[in-house]
Formats: sequence, structure tokens, C-alpha cells
Amino acid sequence: MPSEHLTTNEFLSRLTTLFQSRTHSSHGSVYITQKRLSPSSLPALATDTPLPPSSPYPFADLAPPHPLPILVRATDGKSQEDRKDRVKFSTVVQAEELEGFFARYADICKGGMAGLKKRDRSGRKKGKKKGKGGEGEKKKG
Amino acid sequence: MPYLPTAQAYLEQSRLLISARPTTTKIITKYTLPKKGRKPKETSSSPPPTSETSHPQQQQSQPPKATLTLKTYDPASGVCLKYSTDKAAEVGRLIAALGTCGRIMAALPAKEERADEGAMVEGDAPVVKEEAKAVQKESGKEMKGGQGGHKGGDKGGVGGGGGGKKKKGKK
Repeated sequence: MPSEHLTTNEFLSRLTTLFQSRTHSSHGSVYITQKRLSPSSLPALATDTPLPPSSPYPFADLAPPHPLPILVRATDGKSQEDRKDRVKFSTVVQAEELEGFFARYADICKGGMAGLKKRDRSGRKKGKKKGKGGEGEKKKG
Repeated sequence: MPYLPTAQAYLEQSRLLISARPTTTKIITKYTLPKKGRKPKETSSSPPPTSETSHPQQQQSQPPKATLTLKTYDPASGVCLKYSTDKAAEVGRLIAALGTCGRIMAALPAKEERADEGAMVEGDAPVVKEEAKAVQKESGKEMKGGQGGHKGGDKGGVGGGGGGKKKKGKK
């Protein structure tokens, strides 16, 4: 895996391109993964194994002394035989940039996920077609 | 782990999981456009009981039906929460929730995000805020609801999310 991370700007523009290429080819996937970027300064947190109970800070990752960056990866889901032309890139979002990043990220997703069903307003007026329970429950909050 | 019935249930459980295991938990967002080969199955046979049936001439049958699947997975404990939707209207709210989850991952306080989130998501802001309050109040309770969901399958999950709240409120 290439270790260089893109800047958030580059990442978002490449994500836009990735979504567009999905729309043009009319099939395919976009995978986006987000997780905390484990700092090497906090011991044993980079691994998935729990700290031993004898450790002075068994839950040190629950309350780190300072905010941690988020690692965001994106791929087109190609693996194995298609590995050559696989699209894969990642970025590190610093904690203070999170809000701005997700605001732009949400816009890109709204624009890029064009294959999803649009809200059907004509059906709503009639009030008959809303047989699905999902919408109603959400409105209740 | 099966798919959670509602976005709200998924988001609540995800927040709890990330709060408990902020280092190992990751969120995978998958947007899939199905291959063309699958499409005729839905259109040629009896029309599906969706809103499309009222307007078959609409261009909705033209683009393939994409799905958006969110998965919250913690490899350390093996917990996996999933939610899948095909509604474009939910995208904004779900991504905003991913931002909230990102704040928890980043170990930032969650509070100030709520106000900004309202501005970010146009129509769905009140829902998000209510949801946020609900999570704060019921974080302990939801764990019980979640366990009930495992036992009783889908039905139990719904009860833990929706019905459980009202009962507790009356007490």
C-alpha cells in the first residue's frame, strides 16, 4: 500500500472523479473507510489487541490527551485480477479540519450518488403509497 | 450481524460502538451501482411495490438502482453494524452522522458539532438534533435494547429502538 496520503483537497477532488467514473460506467462501487489514525505515541494502540490489565492505562484510547486525526481511504472495490487498474487513495484529516471536510464530503456524496432513488413527491401528496415504515419512524426521531 | 432496520438504530448503535472502541472501529461506506445484467429482473417481472408503479413512464427506471451501505466494524470485538438504503434523501443525514462519528473517533467533544450539523443538513436538521439528545439520554438503555435485538431478531431490534423509549418515559 502506498504510504503517501493525499491532502484533503486532493482527496475530495479525486473522490469526485471516482464517483463520476462510476456514473459513466453505470456499474461498480465506491468504498470509503474512515477510522482513527492511531498515534505511535500511545503504546499498543496501533494493534488490535487489548492492553494487558497490568497496564497503567488500560483504556488510554478512550480519553487521549489531545484530539487525533482521522484516516480516510477510498477505493473502487477492485481487487485480485483487476488490481492493476485499481483506484485507491487516502488522506489524513486533522481533528480541527473535520467539520469542513465532512461538509464538503457530504456535498460530494450527495452529488455523486446519483443512482439512488430520488424522493418521490408525487407519491407523498396522495398519501397512499407510503406503505414503508422506514420514513415514518425516522420523522418521529 | 444482520442489517439494522432503521438509519436511526444504526447510527445510535454505531455511536455507542465507536465511543466504546474508538481506536479499532472503522466505518465503511459502500456505494454500489449494480451491473446491468441484474436490472431486467426487477423491471420485466411484476412491478415492485414501490412508488415507481404509479409513474412507470418516469425516467426512474432508466438509471440502475444503486445502494448505499454503511458498515461499522470493530475487528477487536467482532461487532459489525450494517445499514443499507437506496434513498437519495438519506445521504445527507447519513454523511452528517459519519461526521459526528468522526468527531468521536478524533476524541473531540461532540457538542458543538450538533449546532453546525443542523446548518449543514438542510431539511433533516431537527431529526438529527432530536436524535442526538435521545442518544445522550438513552445510552445506557440502548445497550439493553441491542441485546434484546440479538435474541429476538428484527422485531426485537425495532422494539428496542422505538417502542422502548416511550415506555421508559412514562415510568
